[in-house]
Amino acid sequence: MKGDHLPKQDHIARLCLQKTISDGQIQATAFQLRKTDEYLSANWVEFLNCSDREREIKVLRDIYPKKLTVKRTAKIAILNVGEVIDKVKNETPDGRTLRVLHNPNEVDPSHSGIYDLNQDDVVISELILEAVRETHPARE
Amino acid sequence: MPEPGFDTHNGCADARIASIVYGNKFLTYGSLGGDPYSEALNLINILNKPSLTSVIPHIRFFQTPAVNQESQEISSWHWKKELSTQEDLLYNEEDQVQELIFRIRTSLNITCRESLANRLVTLFNDAREEDFNNVGIDADSLRNFYKFLQLRPNLKFPAISLTPDCNIYASWRPKKNWVFSVHFIPTGDTRFVIFKPNDRHPERQVRLSGITTTDILLETVAPNGVLDWILE
Repeated sequence: MKGDHLPKQDHIARLCLQKTISDGQIQATAFQLRKTDEYLSANWVEFLNCSDREREIKVLRDIYPKKLTVKRTAKIAILNVGEVIDKVKNETPDGRTLRVLHNPNEVDPSHSGIYDLNQDDVVISELILEAVRETHPARE
Repeated sequence: MPEPGFDTHNGCADARIASIVYGNKFLTYGSLGGDPYSEALNLINILNKPSLTSVIPHIRFFQTPAVNQESQEISSWHWKKELSTQEDLLYNEEDQVQELIFRIRTSLNITCRESLANRLVTLFNDAREEDFNNVGIDADSLRNFYKFLQLRPNLKFPAISLTPDCNIYASWRPKKNWVFSVHFIPTGDTRFVIFKPNDRHPERQVRLSGITTTDILLETVAPNGVLDWILE
């Protein structure tokens, strides 16, 4: 339901566009906001209700082109919700508490967001990058 | 009719020039396979084609006896924006980006100029391909990055990516848990972050961040040993 906090044990997937990738490695820019953004978009992985990660990635690969142009070299970063929240809270000077909320829409019912980021949060984007658990190609 | 004396072997130079001139197209790499003087030939070709003179950067040198006027020249680039001819209308953000990449590629004092220029072309194309209405690379951010390169031309090649607003973001990661990243803000400032191990508590990390003008960035971060990571 819109606005629900995602369980800390669950995972989110972030689409990392090619311009945020260097030499095949995701960079912190993948976790930064545009001036006009209120939150960082992600997908609630467990909401997809698949039996394994491979199927979850396949479903995500079908969702992304409905919203964006996805180049072959773009990547999907998988993060644990609780790890991101705790890491940022413990390691930022202001002890920032991020919220990861469900924000579904018609095209993408698993759509979620990381809230309470600022556009100039370079430290937080580097911390989130450190919390990336898995990466997968965004296209087959 | 081919240009006498400066004809290239494979036509790549013409392709590159065309890609520079027609700014609505994606940029192409400038390397001419195997020719050690490719960049010089390319520049000569551009200079010799009257119809392509618009690709030459609009340079206004200051009337001073200074030996190296290159840094002064950067600040004068905005001068073109004040004019109002048809040519000036073409001097849009994309043209500025192309000029800056051209300058990086041809700046002999920048050690990794070719790799940097190629990377920037790739980023420009990636950003445009993902969103064709996108500027590709923010020209003022790229100008800020170029200014940084001019101040310290012997940098190790960084990981370069673009922020969501298409600003340049450079990172050096010499080892695991060591990071120095710089966001080149269009205003001429830089936002930086340093992560490094805590010498006395190796399991912990030192995390520093700040904002400063580009000209004093390296002297600001130098006490943290960053120069050893990022300079050749």
